[in-house]
Amino acid sequence: MSDPSSINGGICVAMTGKDCVAIACDLRLGSQSLGVSNKFEKIFPFGHVFLGLTGLATDVLTLSEVFRYKTNLYKLREDRYIEPQTFTQLVSSTLYEKRFGPYFTGPIVAGINSKTGKPYIAGFDLIGCIDEAKDFVVSGTASEQLFGMCESLYEPNQESEDLFETISQALLNSADRDALSGWGAVVYIIKKNEVIKRYLKTRQD
Amino acid sequence: MDIVLGIRVKDSVILATSKAVTRGISVLKSTDDKTRVLSEHSLLAFSGEAGDTVQFAEYIQVNMQLYSIRENYELSPYATASFVRQELAKSIRSRKPFQVNVLLGGFDAKKGEPGLYQIDYLGTQAELPYAAHGYSGFYTFSLLDRHYRPDMTTQEGLELLRMCVDELERRMPIDFKGVLVKIVDKDGVREEPNF
Amino acid sequence: MAGLSFENYQRNQFLSSRTNGTPKATSTGTTIVGVKFNGGVVIAADTRSTQGPIVANKNCAKLHRMAPRIWCAGAGTAADTEEVTKLVGSNLELHSLYAGRAPRVVSALQMLKQHLFKYQGHVGAYLIVAGVDPTGAHLFSIHAHGSTDVGFYQSLGSGSLAAMAVLEANWKPELTKEEAMTLAADAIEAGIWNDLGSGSNVDLCVMEVGKDAAYLRNHRTPNVREPKQQSYKFARGTTGILSQRVLDVCQVEEQVVDVEA
Repeated sequence: MSDPSSINGGICVAMTGKDCVAIACDLRLGSQSLGVSNKFEKIFPFGHVFLGLTGLATDVLTLSEVFRYKTNLYKLREDRYIEPQTFTQLVSSTLYEKRFGPYFTGPIVAGINSKTGKPYIAGFDLIGCIDEAKDFVVSGTASEQLFGMCESLYEPNQESEDLFETISQALLNSADRDALSGWGAVVYIIKKNEVIKRYLKTRQD
Repeated sequence: MDIVLGIRVKDSVILATSKAVTRGISVLKSTDDKTRVLSEHSLLAFSGEAGDTVQFAEYIQVNMQLYSIRENYELSPYATASFVRQELAKSIRSRKPFQVNVLLGGFDAKKGEPGLYQIDYLGTQAELPYAAHGYSGFYTFSLLDRHYRPDMTTQEGLELLRMCVDELERRMPIDFKGVLVKIVDKDGVREEPNF
Repeated sequence: MAGLSFENYQRNQFLSSRTNGTPKATSTGTTIVGVKFNGGVVIAADTRSTQGPIVANKNCAKLHRMAPRIWCAGAGTAADTEEVTKLVGSNLELHSLYAGRAPRVVSALQMLKQHLFKYQGHVGAYLIVAGVDPTGAHLFSIHAHGSTDVGFYQSLGSGSLAAMAVLEANWKPELTKEEAMTLAADAIEAGIWNDLGSGSNVDLCVMEVGKDAAYLRNHRTPNVREPKQQSYKFARGTTGILSQRVLDVCQVEEQVVDVEA
């Protein structure tokens, strides 16, 4: 229980579809068994790239600030928003820099490359090893449940509205089997030039 | 076992801290003030390891003062909370971290709204309608969940706090010598004398 | 006899008092091999990556390019194998630019082992380095503490025992390219089937003297997933939505900041 990555609880998942990607997270912030907040969002947008961060909440906040800083500087230097692939390398090197005193987080990246128009998702371990997947990536205290749900529910090339149902049900049912996750959920449906953010109706126990 | 409680109501934040200083089996003081004023419209309440708490709170206090003198600008409660969080997040990865948990109550004079922030020694920050550190939350959250409304007046907030403190006095295994109550609103920070 | 059996209780109590906690049934795994042949060298790897007992990625790439004709297979801590090969790969390119010569495998080997020795095993990279350069074809292995081995065939990772069994049984001198490729792939398959930490597909990289390296991603795919027999697609509207907001991708955020004089 003193494992830093499961003190606060929380989960994130991302999936690809046909010309779209989706990324979702729960809203719980806890301290062991005590629920502290039900408004703790774990997905942070950087232009058209979305970063999900689970794990130790202090590191989630710190890293979100670090990446806001780095992507803002990138934007100033390059006069454009960072692409998902580039951002993935940025996350990897930022985490590996702390190889022997890591941030206790499991980041995931989702977005659509604005040049190629192709969906892109990636996951990481706490020291920045990139896990490039073409179907789905998961992280958090219910990652095992998420793996199971995604493995069975996922199918490739879904339309955005069908992808929304799939990712939502995968997230919700995983969170319901984890005491440290839940308390609300957010889903982002990302298309080439439209992003929809939805708050889901969830169990509150 | 220190008590730190905070309630954000319609146009103020109420912070309550226990007045006892305990070392081992002795109560050393019964008039302690576990808060520090950071700026005209923000107040920091703290609990944690003896020594660390006051050291940290006063470090934050003087740096807030330094900033306001240098920049001639009062930070918003959100900005203040971010600063406190950053200091604690830095501290947790240092050789000897501060073991301090804080509640920050503030009133954003520009936006005209109150804000209550809970930050623990790890640097975990959350903006909340009501908050507590330590064991006091276990006794009071059920009452707050039941009776809290976002549109409460300060007076109603104080009545709700009274219920919480009564419950703590009933259930807590040691005497915490009552609470010191402070209110932060558009007029600044003031103590509630007859609580 | 009814009820639970406690016959192992005392034994396990004794066991855990003698060891650092009870043994865990987890495996950190990979199978990687390298085989030399007449006029070249081939390396191969499986494609499973694990986090404890969970398969994190079913088709990851463990073959890293350090130079156009020097490739490296990595086992151990995934982030470390990736970063150390990237770092040394970059330095190798700078080195070859400075020297005006093609990079050599021994240079890669020396740079890797000096880096790993400096970190006393804490950078958990276990590597098989292979390639061709002006001095011929080479095959080496490196352990995380910095020790290195030379040989005609090598295997590393949790599946190295299974792979080595195949290598020891079937290796012979003067292999042809095709024979070496088959031997390497067979050795990886031994790991895939018999080691829990290894699985999925076989990646291969063939480096021949005087030729460009051939990277054969998913050379063998003995674990193709059966197509789903039924769809678990949910009807639209299944999930309850509390609120939604449409964000513009190129949203320009503007805020009037009141700056006092």
